[in-house]
Amino acid sequence: MNLEFNEDQIDTLREFINISMGAATASLANLLDAFGTMHIPKIEICNSNELAQKIKSTIDLKSMYYATKQLFTGKFGGECMFIISEDSAKNLGRHLYNVTIPSRDDINDAVIELTNILTSTIVSRLTQELNTQVQFFVPSSQFIDANSIVHCEDVSDYSKIIIISTILDFKDQKINGNVYILTKDEAIESLRVLIDKRIEEIYG
Amino acid sequence: MKILVVDDSKIGRMSIIKSLEVVKPDVEVFQAVNGLEAVEIFKKERPSAVFLDLTMPVMDGYEALKQIMEVDKNAQVIVVSADIQSEAKLRVLASGAKNMYPKPINDENMVQIFKQDLSL
Repeated sequence: MNLEFNEDQIDTLREFINISMGAATASLANLLDAFGTMHIPKIEICNSNELAQKIKSTIDLKSMYYATKQLFTGKFGGECMFIISEDSAKNLGRHLYNVTIPSRDDINDAVIELTNILTSTIVSRLTQELNTQVQFFVPSSQFIDANSIVHCEDVSDYSKIIIISTILDFKDQKINGNVYILTKDEAIESLRVLIDKRIEEIYG
Repeated sequence: MKILVVDDSKIGRMSIIKSLEVVKPDVEVFQAVNGLEAVEIFKKERPSAVFLDLTMPVMDGYEALKQIMEVDKNAQVIVVSADIQSEAKLRVLASGAKNMYPKPINDENMVQIFKQDLSL
């Protein structure tokens, strides 16, 4: 199985993620009545045992996090994970419910609402660009410490993982989080085929 | 006619160039991969129009637009971006862009750009 991506394939995937993140940021800007700053997505192909370290390197290890994961299946299958710190989630709750001290339920609701919009918009837009469709599973959310975000058992069945990461960044509201799309083994091969088709269409 | 296409993504540039080839096959296309390179090419080549991405390394599209407009206040810049927030559009229009289109751009957009947005 070929799990390597060439420069054009990485460039194309990054551009499609950029377009997908743009759609998601616009949806959330409407929800929050705010302006989100866009960042260049990062794409890495790594061994599955490196995943926890890769994610930990992008977040503050001293904070607690709300981590929401949503599986999707189809020709391009995988998992979309959104990680938002406790402080950022509180700011989200304050902003969305217009209260000084949001309750834990308010914060949970706000995080789940934001995550639903974010992950479904990103993955739907990405699959639209790839000319395919996926089926979503119900998301699961946890309030956990940085070291517990990725458990070994989550990834032990896979050899390689593509980590597509970008940042949700509403500066004025002090709301930001990290988005990861994880796709593994057979899905990586399918993704490569889908990307090649789109490159052929665009480059002619 | 010279056209400058600015995007850090090769496929982003190619999708614009592909539509340009359909709608305006005779244009001479220049490419830049970030805002800084775009400003340099703009100063040297003085293209008739610029297609400019916003989210780029080294120098983003907002700063590049500002600097291009400082070089030539009549520069004709079309922003093509994944950022489809209304505030982003307001910002680039206020900075002098002729219009802003969401990525990916298609042939219909390109026809509209040359008919309605650019005075060439």
